Amino acid sequence: MRVDVGPVSDFEDHRVRIVNAGDLEVGVLRWRDRFFAIHNRCPHQKGPVCLGIVSGRLGGAAPGSMEVDEETPVLACPWHGWEFELERGRALWDKSYAVKVLPVSIESGRVLLEVGRSRD
Amino acid sequence: MYSGPVIDCDVHHARNTDAELIEYLSPGWRQYVTDRGPAGNVPLAVQDGLPNPHGFMRADTYPKGGGEPGSDYATMRDQLLAASDVRRVILTFGDDSHVAGHHNPYFASELARAMNDWSVERWLSQDRRLLSSIMVGSQLPDVAAAEVRRHAENPGMVQVMLVDNPFNRGFGHPVFHPIYAAAEETGRPVAIHGGAGGWANPPSTGGGSVSTYFETHVLWPQAIQTHLVSFIAHGVFEKYPRLRVVLVEGGSAWIPSLLWRFDTEYKGLRREVPWLKRLPSEYFASHVWVTTQPLEISPQKENVVELLRSMSLEDRLVYSSDYPHWDADEIDYLSTRLPSDWHRRIFFENACRLYGWKEEDLAPPREAVRESA
Repeated sequence: MRVDVGPVSDFEDHRVRIVNAGDLEVGVLRWRDRFFAIHNRCPHQKGPVCLGIVSGRLGGAAPGSMEVDEETPVLACPWHGWEFELERGRALWDKSYAVKVLPVSIESGRVLLEVGRSRD
Repeated sequence: MYSGPVIDCDVHHARNTDAELIEYLSPGWRQYVTDRGPAGNVPLAVQDGLPNPHGFMRADTYPKGGGEPGSDYATMRDQLLAASDVRRVILTFGDDSHVAGHHNPYFASELARAMNDWSVERWLSQDRRLLSSIMVGSQLPDVAAAEVRRHAENPGMVQVMLVDNPFNRGFGHPVFHPIYAAAEETGRPVAIHGGAGGWANPPSTGGGSVSTYFETHVLWPQAIQTHLVSFIAHGVFEKYPRLRVVLVEGGSAWIPSLLWRFDTEYKGLRREVPWLKRLPSEYFASHVWVTTQPLEISPQKENVVELLRSMSLEDRLVYSSDYPHWDADEIDYLSTRLPSDWHRRIFFENACRLYGWKEEDLAPPREAVRESA
């Protein structure tokens, strides 16, 4: 089932907006010209993961260094700080642990979510 | 009981007199130490530890001819080496091991150098089974690294040992890294020996200093935990991917609890240490070994076994007696506390992996005593 959650212009860059899509509460992130949709429920303790901080993934090529990968948005759950990349929803420390992500498409300037099907 | 081959990873050898070590100092430092007229020589060992009410040594280890426990090869041979199929023993010094607790960094570095030469000439020359730690004055990490490299070609000098902490920073702090670069380069594991608290600043107990030897001995694992967490958090194993670490005399039953907590904290705090690429427990499992003594004694022995098994420590534990100290663990005793299918790994095989030895290269006891002994 596809759900229209509004025009692209309603979504501020680098911000998560909470929408209802069917029975799900979903956070929709606009990251420049890319969109991500995440079920607002952390697999850890069922916290509102989409209320957490979104930022480019921090990495360190060597001890003591900090580099930002702006191409990889990461969502940190506000309850315990567990981080998830948003392409597939995987935790940064365990690829088998993930938040549920929904497929997003843009048609005629509208943001559409595919509910009932995981992104991958 | 276990009757197979044994590698003992913590045996304390000692000197009887200051003169033994003074002989190995450079002429300048020898004069500094000895030229004090009636005042006697400058103390060589750091002496501000808490006293054990029974003494630190097993009473039966005092040599019959006099002298300090651990100071006489023949006594050690008869009591330790001949008592079972001991293939290798790693010597870890006595009070001198607190050399990094000296306030004078230059003196400490010279003492460490002299101690290593003393160990090679007085001990390794007597028996092929005897191997030594390389002591370093970590007050001067670059000098310490040079001391490690000085022994690179001597296969009898098998590990770099850290005990006291001169900088009030966990051992993973970059100030110590020159030592690890040398250890990795020369293929030597770094041994972190418990018991620095009370001998040097800072005390090894979190929350404040303690008042009795009883307290400090219970709390020895605290300092080891600090150093383990520090090593992993600072990314030492990312920076030196071939480095191995062995935790000596800090216990082991706490390791699962600490690593579970460590992994959980990493999930939420990763962005503070983004150079880490794996879970802390994964670094532990591929870089860290742990000596057995003192094995925690649970009322039901399977309780400790269950804890150790939960982190596959049967593949990371290496036997240590701690001879001639008062709380030494005997092979016969330890074998009653651990499952029999762990015995060969813990008494022998794991240490071979840690130190990079082939089992077949370790001579049985009858061939080990050097002809000159």
